[in-house]
Amino acid sequence: MKSRNRISTMRRRFLALLAVFSGSLLTSRSVATGKQRQLSLHEADFYKPHDLAG
Amino acid sequence: MGDVTCELCPRYCTIPEGGAGDCRVRVNIDGKLVATTYGRPSSVHIDPVEKKPLYHFHPGSAVFSIATAGCNLHCRNCQNWQLSQRGGEEMERIYRAEPADVVDAALAENCHSIAYTYSDPIIFYEYVYDTSVLAHDHGLKNIFVTAGYINEKPMRRLCQVIDATNIDLKAFDDGFYRRNCSGSLKPVLDAMVIAREEGVWLEVTNLVIPTLNDDIATVRRMAHWIRDNLGEQTPLHISRFTPHYQMRNLPPTPVESLHRVWNEARDAGLKYVYIGNIYGHKSESTYCPNDNTRLIHRVGFSVEEYNLTSDGRCPVCNQKVSGVW
Ligand SMILES: [Zn+2]
Repeated sequence: MKSRNRISTMRRRFLALLAVFSGSLLTSRSVATGKQRQLSLHEADFYKPHDLAG
Repeated sequence: MGDVTCELCPRYCTIPEGGAGDCRVRVNIDGKLVATTYGRPSSVHIDPVEKKPLYHFHPGSAVFSIATAGCNLHCRNCQNWQLSQRGGEEMERIYRAEPADVVDAALAENCHSIAYTYSDPIIFYEYVYDTSVLAHDHGLKNIFVTAGYINEKPMRRLCQVIDATNIDLKAFDDGFYRRNCSGSLKPVLDAMVIAREEGVWLEVTNLVIPTLNDDIATVRRMAHWIRDNLGEQTPLHISRFTPHYQMRNLPPTPVESLHRVWNEARDAGLKYVYIGNIYGHKSESTYCPNDNTRLIHRVGFSVEEYNLTSDGRCPVCNQKVSGVW
């Protein structure tokens, strides 16, 4: 479990770094803090076909 | 500040400060266990109740269905792995949806129920619980679609606020759970018994995977266990596997295998056995266990014909059909 946590932190940092290089400071910040842009529920298309089981 | 132990599921993760449990979404912040995806679903859809699948619970009704990231099992064949095998921070989409927002949306869309589904709602337990309480206050029903890998105490508590559950019995084989899901069988069986004891409407799903869980002797033991512990009236959904995620090496389940499992379950005395994931199969429909009258004709997730009486009986022989109608 510890190694999973470590990988997750490393991965997050990697994604943040990647986002910096791709030019999105906002994304890099959000990824680094684990807080991406959150959408209002009204922005969801409830009837969009999907392939999730359950 | 120290470690915290999450007592929700049989993993009993001991989580160091700043760390996450095995499910990725229950974390230790300043010595407190926090469910990070509370009020933050990543999947929100309206589905027919038949998709859950529930065939004996308000057929044809619309279900407001939500899920957050994370799962406490890691099945190699997970169909929803992009949701379940990720933490919240890895999701492309996250919605802000407090329990009141979910209930409002479900009511606005004329849904009959709210389903906690897609990943395993066990890991967003507090969100499920609070939303369910509010949903009941507003006349909505609650559906819990789960693999049932949960401890007794939280399961009993949850049963006080949910109305129906589909529990995925992945195999009647502990080795299968250990090899393919990083879980174990016993807690799942216990959860099903608890649902029954607590009066929650229960249907069981068994996904048949070629060579891994289609051994007919094991299927027979499963069917007998369901009959003896949950009752012969418990609907069983025998579902076709298709290759996904880390299990792409196996073919889709041959239809003959599903028929063998179906026959075995019927021979064991189970009254309502369905075949799922094969569009248009005659075993998608509900038949009277007494005279075989077709009571509910389904094609895919759609109810084409409904012949039950208002109190859930066969119109020909008056046989009572178990369910919530
Ligand atoms: Zn009948």
